[in-house]
Amino acid sequence: MQYWINHNGVQSGPVDLDAIKEMGLTSRAYVWREGLQDWVKITQMPELQGYYEMLAETADPQPAQATQQSANGEAVTGQPYQPQPQYTQPQQQYAPQAAAEPCPPTNLVWAIISTVLCCIPTGIVAIIYALKVTNKYREGDIEGAKRASEVGAWWCIATIILGIIVQPFMSMLPAMMASMGN
Amino acid sequence: MRRSLILIIVLAALLAFGFIYYALDPSQSGLFPRCTFLSLTGYKCPGCGSQRAIHALLHGDIVGAFRYNALLLISIPWIALCLYAESRRTRNPRLYLRLNAPLLIWLFLAMVLLWWLLRNIFNW
Repeated sequence: MQYWINHNGVQSGPVDLDAIKEMGLTSRAYVWREGLQDWVKITQMPELQGYYEMLAETADPQPAQATQQSANGEAVTGQPYQPQPQYTQPQQQYAPQAAAEPCPPTNLVWAIISTVLCCIPTGIVAIIYALKVTNKYREGDIEGAKRASEVGAWWCIATIILGIIVQPFMSMLPAMMASMGN
Repeated sequence: MRRSLILIIVLAALLAFGFIYYALDPSQSGLFPRCTFLSLTGYKCPGCGSQRAIHALLHGDIVGAFRYNALLLISIPWIALCLYAESRRTRNPRLYLRLNAPLLIWLFLAMVLLWWLLRNIFNW
């Protein structure tokens, strides 16, 4: 399930549930996902229950005070500060957002590291796949980019396993055979 | 939670490898693996010499590191930048895209292939 975040008026997404928890959001953030009519306060999201309830109680007492002071001398009721989400029609706003999905991992770093360190030229294939991911993503072919990303990741893993585990073993083999022969 | 655990394991492994490569000289010790590609074909691969280069680098010998494997030395800033962008892929997609520009990847690929060719011709 993909989620969109609106934190202090700044939108981001789509992200998954684990990523939300690592974003360091405050209880002022709003969340939206498919199936919801409108933005929901992050503290009221069923999936995040318990995780952000804590935040709602501890953090963030200032907004309530701020509203009371800024209300032109008028008495403000004890209602907590509730920033309105900037977008009232999420369904329409989200069509272009979905297209702005971040590029799937190109694995370029791992391709470079495995090429430079692992002594196995297969790392070059991983670099070519990184190129494929970024090209497909730029063409708008997100599915194709994801597929290339996955294949590229396997090339990186294969190169690193061959380079770090198989290769040392292979190079030790003659010495081990010799010592066994003696 | 899981991410920080992975980070700790990776850092511990890096420290351990760093210590081994600092304490032992790959050009003297027989403990370090030799390149399979080199022993099979007689040609150096783009990564040959990287263990000696790391040893030299850990001792502050940048010129030595450059002589053992120039590609490694040149790649280090690139790797650092890409690692940072990778860790912020969803939060800073623009930086990620900029670093993963086709032109830059082509440049790196060309550099690797050229390095591979030239080092076997000139025995670098």
